[in-house]
Amino acid sequence: MVLGVALGVAVVVAVDLANASAGRAFDLSVDAVAGRATHQVVAGPQGLDEAVYAALRRDGEVQLAAPVLEGSAVSPQLGGRTLRLLGIDPFAEPPFRSYLGAEDGLPLDQLVDFLTRPGAVLLSVDLASQYGLEAGAPLTLQVGGYERQAFVAGLLQPADGLSRRALEDILLADIATVQELTGRLGRIDRIDLILPQNGAAEVERIAALLPPGARIDAVAARSGAVREMTVAFRTNLLALSLLALMVGMFLIYNTMTFAVVQRRELFGTLRCLGVTRREIFALVLGEALVVGLLGSASGMLLGVLMGRSAVRLVAQTINDLYFAVSVHSVAVPVISLVKGGLLGVLATVTAAGLPAWEAASVPPRSALSRSLLEAKARRATTRVALGGLLLLALGALILAIPTRSLAVSFGGICAVVLGFALLTPLATRWVMRGAAPPLGRLAGPLGRLAPRGVANSLSRTAIAVAALMVAMAVVIGIQLMISSFRHTVVAWLSYALQADVYIAASEMTGSSPMAPVDPAVLDVVARRSDVAVIDLIRAVNVDSPYGPVYLEAGNSADYGDHLLYLAVDGSPQEAWAAVRDGEAVIVSEPLAHRIDLPRHGGTIQLYTDRGPRTFPVSAIYHDYATPNGAVIMGLDTYRRFWDDAAFTAVALELEAGTDPGAVVQSLRETLPPTQRLVVQPNRALREEALRIFDRTFAITAALQLLATAVAFIGVLSALLSLLLEKRRELGILRSVGLTARQLWRLVMLETGLMGMVAGLLSMPAGWVLALILIYTINLRSFGWTLQFRLEAAPFLQALAIAVAAGLLAGIYPAYRMGRIEVIEALRYER
Amino acid sequence: MSTRGNVRRSSRLGITALAIVTVVSLLGIGWAALGERGGRSLQARLATIPEPGAGSAAGFARAEGPRAFDFPADHGPHLDFQTEWWYYTGNLEAADGRHFGYQLTFFRRGLVPPGERQQRPSSWATEQVYMAHFAITDVAGQEHCFFERFSRGAAGLAGAEAAPYRVWLENWRVTTAADGVYYLQASQDGWALELQLVDRKGPLLQGEDGYSRKGADPGNASYYISQTRLETTGAVTVGGTTYLVDGSSWMDHEFSTSALAADQVGWDWFALQLDDGRELMLFHIRTVGGDIAPYASGTLVETDGSLVRLGEADFSLVVQETWRSPHSGAVYPARWTVTVPAAGLALDVAPYVADQELVVSFVYWEGAVQVGGTVAGSGYVELTGYAGSMAGQF
Repeated sequence: MVLGVALGVAVVVAVDLANASAGRAFDLSVDAVAGRATHQVVAGPQGLDEAVYAALRRDGEVQLAAPVLEGSAVSPQLGGRTLRLLGIDPFAEPPFRSYLGAEDGLPLDQLVDFLTRPGAVLLSVDLASQYGLEAGAPLTLQVGGYERQAFVAGLLQPADGLSRRALEDILLADIATVQELTGRLGRIDRIDLILPQNGAAEVERIAALLPPGARIDAVAARSGAVREMTVAFRTNLLALSLLALMVGMFLIYNTMTFAVVQRRELFGTLRCLGVTRREIFALVLGEALVVGLLGSASGMLLGVLMGRSAVRLVAQTINDLYFAVSVHSVAVPVISLVKGGLLGVLATVTAAGLPAWEAASVPPRSALSRSLLEAKARRATTRVALGGLLLLALGALILAIPTRSLAVSFGGICAVVLGFALLTPLATRWVMRGAAPPLGRLAGPLGRLAPRGVANSLSRTAIAVAALMVAMAVVIGIQLMISSFRHTVVAWLSYALQADVYIAASEMTGSSPMAPVDPAVLDVVARRSDVAVIDLIRAVNVDSPYGPVYLEAGNSADYGDHLLYLAVDGSPQEAWAAVRDGEAVIVSEPLAHRIDLPRHGGTIQLYTDRGPRTFPVSAIYHDYATPNGAVIMGLDTYRRFWDDAAFTAVALELEAGTDPGAVVQSLRETLPPTQRLVVQPNRALREEALRIFDRTFAITAALQLLATAVAFIGVLSALLSLLLEKRRELGILRSVGLTARQLWRLVMLETGLMGMVAGLLSMPAGWVLALILIYTINLRSFGWTLQFRLEAAPFLQALAIAVAAGLLAGIYPAYRMGRIEVIEALRYER
Repeated sequence: MSTRGNVRRSSRLGITALAIVTVVSLLGIGWAALGERGGRSLQARLATIPEPGAGSAAGFARAEGPRAFDFPADHGPHLDFQTEWWYYTGNLEAADGRHFGYQLTFFRRGLVPPGERQQRPSSWATEQVYMAHFAITDVAGQEHCFFERFSRGAAGLAGAEAAPYRVWLENWRVTTAADGVYYLQASQDGWALELQLVDRKGPLLQGEDGYSRKGADPGNASYYISQTRLETTGAVTVGGTTYLVDGSSWMDHEFSTSALAADQVGWDWFALQLDDGRELMLFHIRTVGGDIAPYASGTLVETDGSLVRLGEADFSLVVQETWRSPHSGAVYPARWTVTVPAAGLALDVAPYVADQELVVSFVYWEGAVQVGGTVAGSGYVELTGYAGSMAGQF
């Protein structure tokens, strides 16, 4: 029974660990990026003119300032993973970032190389030894689709564990080297500053020195905005893990009940000997505490183990959706363990309350007849069901509260789930009553016996059924939600990806940097006769008062005509014309939701190279790619407000009847070889998008599996306790001629029936859960409206799983009952 | 003899200094910690500095004999040489007689010899490192405030140019206002200089027409230019209070590719501006045993700018008092009797303020001194190799 508690706790701990690790990784990357900076001078997607830094320096009042230029690089020699290429000025660095190395770090000649030789990069000793690289080794890098030759100038010896982890994915280079590797000559990404605590005047003064388009921001505010974006995702995960614990609590209740039932006789004897009710109550609770402690302890261990894979999944999702984090190791924050452990112990003790009370209420004359208890339980079912209805209503009320608080939403979900669970006993009784006659016709007396058996021990069976029901409802709800989501995304993709062929500098991944495409590509494409329309797309992240926003600028004549709109001023054509020819923009639903944009006539402010500008919003469209929000803008508008002539992707519409595959093939051969370009037909891109989507929900799927496992164990232990109690009854049946084989069938029938009831009941519950997840949670967390899509498969699957779980769980008890001597079984109740 | 001028500069903040400083800052040691840790790190680093004529010095041009100087071009940087510095010191007085000393020094070091340099597209790319020291002595306030900075010689952050002449590191800079007229500006944390310097004697070539030998090897030498009388007016800000001042500054500009002898621990250098219109430069090197190495020399600049070279036999330096630094624990000479019999000089030289020690990447004493005796005047003295942490490094 420790196992049940352990599993529940493990899930909570694992998810918490994953969340904490992801958060930690985020902090680390913030530290790696911002170091001890208090403020940053930043500008648009192209970064700052490097002269801004020199001007700031020559002004002289700012002494703690460090320029930073970042890029990302992939090297087949370093496992092909994306590394952050961090360009710094070693003369300005020391006050900012401490991970550059220990005191007696690099030899002088390596330092000189680092500063003076093109392509010199430093990497951590760990990274180098992992891939067998030594100082001086040549290193081939892919930066923005271009192949660049670099070399390992030296190895950094991290001073502590923190630096080690910060350095795991960093290639450190001089700012000149990064400018050359990324081709971003004359540019820096930002200037880090350390300003005094009350530096308001200083901030003003620096702001006055900056050219239009450059801003000075507090670091805390910047990283806070980014961190904010993942909160919804992480809360969702935590809530899922709590759901697993809830299932776990049912299970603990069952286990404890089992433990009590087994020893009714003992308790009776104890009472006879003068042990008080209070003492027995304390005894059972004490046991629960021990079980809770043991289970929590092993759960924590198990959770840490499971955390490792959970971390990978969580990090991947965050990578895909939000920003690049690298989590390779799982730190084990004590707080996660304590949280999980406490939760486990508390849940166990709470769940043991009822069985303890039951044990205490065993009258001294030991054999309180079971039937009395059951009669009581039966009478209670109606009251319990009423309570369930009340809870359902309460849940509905809570969910109706117009709030963005996820905690409130999950409170509502909990109420609804519990409500359904409380309806279970009554529903079970009804189903059993209804099932007896037809089963009787089908299977004879055994068919009538089985449902009655279930109904007659409702105090045990209902709990098991409820636990299984909750687990199955969660499975159904989440599956419906995911499949609706996927369905919506598939539909949306066909709107979002209109062109036939796309050319870009890197694979399409959510948060990867958007490297410009070599303009020479246009010449090649323009010469082709099979290309009807060439559209340019510039995708960048720009800053706004609401944090970073994904901006997509295009020059397509009709791109906006086919978007999936939530709200549009006039016709889609008119809205798009306002974008293409005017300065209007189209805003994605999550962003509109986040900033409370009115459906019509709203405006949005963006930080442009010309300073903050307000753009009219001509439409709001559905978008599922960028949870932090996207803005679509005309390419002309973009180029007017940002000094950026580059483009990120080329979208081609082909002449009718042309085979995109053939065009892709020949493009791959004829495009300039200087840059490694990705040429993808519409279909491949769509598949890629769905692949990312599926990856995003991998952790959700893993959690629902765990919930099922927990429920299964619950059913098993409930059945064990049930059958133990029914020994005498079964013994009588055996003595009146029931064969072992028939007994086997009876038990299987009973457990199968229970599984079926759970499966049936989980259907409406799962359906309601899915509705809540789709229309409340998703909208509140991410601002996504999904098209609800009812599918039979999750329901049938849940029913099948439930029945199978019931049958499987019946095997062991049936086996044990079959082996019991009739005499011994009869002797059970004296 | 100005031959030795090279030595004092070399040893002074020598060839190794910039490399070391580069290393120190690269190592990621916080600026605040530079002082304390500098010593240890210096020592550790020093072991890796190649011997003169080998390793990092290889490939650089060397001062091997007299050369033709061409001004203003030769005021600018000489990138073929590994090490170069522009050294401004001066004594200034406010109308109420409040006395100030100042030091503003720019050091350049080439990390890569000319033949191995690569043309790189980034304007940040460089093989030149600059370091600068800025100090002000406020005699009335008994204060000596000093700062240190480093930068790459690129991206407009630091550099030196010949025409028009300017040398700068961030907002510490010397620029040309007109022919022979310079602006000197530096500020940090409420301490600032805003000065105009007018060259009264023109650039003077020390040693043999600017070729300043250091040792037996003719390549162990430097090219050495001085402006020994820069008439100075402007403003000094100490701790937020600004004083209008006038006075006199001294500039040394020297470039070389050489290193120190292993047995040299430090040097004492004197730049004295006498009220009779003459200037006197003297130095000697101290060896491990505490002896004076046989390379002491000096130059006497007459009022008309003509030079008298002084050999070790032509002058004497006798220490009269010492001062123990509360910061480094080093014991420095703190008063001298300087005699140049041939010039009829018997001078009493004493610091305006005892504590003019700079605790920066390495520890040395550089301060304004008052001259008494046969002729009154002011000047600057530099003392290195006294702090414990420096021992054995030069």
